[in-house]
Amino acid sequence: MQHFWDQPLSWGTAAIFAAGAVGVLAFVLFFVTYAIYFERKVIGWMQYRKGPNRTGPLGLLQSVADVAKLLLKEDTIPKKADKGLFVLAPVLAFVPSFAVLAMIPYSMNLQFADLNVGFLYYIALSGITTIAIVVGGWASNNKYALLGGMRSAAQMISYEVPLVISVVGCVMLSGSLNLREIVESQAGYFWQWNFIPQIIGFAVFLVAAVSELNRTPFDLPEAESELVAGYHVEYSGFRFAFFMLTEYVYVYAIAALTTLLFLGGWNAPAPQLDFIPGILWFFVKFAFIVFSLFWIRATFPRLRVDQLMGLAWKVLLPLAILNIFLTAIGIELMR
Amino acid sequence: MKGMLKGLGVTMKTLGSKKVTLAYPDVPIDMPDRFRGIQYFDPDKCIVCNQCVRICPTECITLTGKANPDPEKKGKVIDTYDINFEICILCDLCTEVCPTEAVVMTNNFELASYSRDELFKDKDWLFGNNTNVREDNNNIGSPKGGAK
Repeated sequence: MQHFWDQPLSWGTAAIFAAGAVGVLAFVLFFVTYAIYFERKVIGWMQYRKGPNRTGPLGLLQSVADVAKLLLKEDTIPKKADKGLFVLAPVLAFVPSFAVLAMIPYSMNLQFADLNVGFLYYIALSGITTIAIVVGGWASNNKYALLGGMRSAAQMISYEVPLVISVVGCVMLSGSLNLREIVESQAGYFWQWNFIPQIIGFAVFLVAAVSELNRTPFDLPEAESELVAGYHVEYSGFRFAFFMLTEYVYVYAIAALTTLLFLGGWNAPAPQLDFIPGILWFFVKFAFIVFSLFWIRATFPRLRVDQLMGLAWKVLLPLAILNIFLTAIGIELMR
Repeated sequence: MKGMLKGLGVTMKTLGSKKVTLAYPDVPIDMPDRFRGIQYFDPDKCIVCNQCVRICPTECITLTGKANPDPEKKGKVIDTYDINFEICILCDLCTEVCPTEAVVMTNNFELASYSRDELFKDKDWLFGNNTNVREDNNNIGSPKGGAK
């Protein structure tokens, strides 16, 4: 894909880019469909249940049926809502979540845009989704939606800080923000992957990532048993489907990022296993991260709202900064 | 921290364990023998003593008897016997009081229907409800025919 970027834009290359985007969209939709199915199955199994098993063979069509239901639903907009913003919010939430997928390298040569600030690009764009959530909460003209939106913004902004700082250690080790180069610097045996030298950074990153995704145990913005439904109380039908889609596309993005930054991306655990294609290794690690997210969701209860900010600023942020200092000392000593 | 890891272990163990979900609408549920389900009624055993009607706390049972068609025999035989399952609470009192075990409990419990009229069950329907009948109808060991 990369050599197309270096050529001047013509109708031909534009068509290739569009086809690539549609391909990724189709793949991501497939992932989201079966991530939801898999999530419900895993959580069911972890609660002595069987999970969806009635729609289609083994319940495989359950998410398809759910999405079809959402799309067929009546499209309601509250009378006193701010119509323009209300319609804009789901779009504004989804577009950046999809745009961040452009910089993910799946293997050595399969990547859409080889940005030299790949990680920063992710952080910059995912911040826009926070705005969309506040906009959605505000435009609904509903106090629960507004409170949910405010909570969500506070949480996502707070946890973005330790998320970014925890990655600085990785960047220092590889000397680049380019995701492809970060992965290449982890080549070799699996103990050379960043999750061992950067164990503190990895732990902080995981916690902050789960929180960024607004998933249990950090799902306070939605908190279905406390707030009504957070910022999307007033949303239904396909607008609600877009918010859900955004959430799961971010699961995809974060799982891919964790794989790339800390689990060595497409590198095999040992150089002897290199005959297995890198993209397979990537998706094995990716699936493990996605499973872990579901596992965490099935295990932990929700945090209290007064513990939430304390955790971000008093625990995760100092740990992340400590990690930077330790990494710097380590680099200095190893030289 | 240790507790959190323990929790993760618990959920992981549960993941592979046997599930408690029953395939209920596809496979009927086996109820224990003392389950209080829809009554089975045997008209041949009924002696029209009216005890079930009198003991019923919701007055959902109505019955009428007629003279025994065989002129040699005394007493009555049952003519109509209806239980209104709109109000029946399946309390087991009618079957407990019945001296001849003409009305007994079964393990069947599916009463949902589209019309209230369908909940009014007559003698023939109750006689036809002859599956999963309770086996031990005298579990306190009371003497047959009542105490003398």
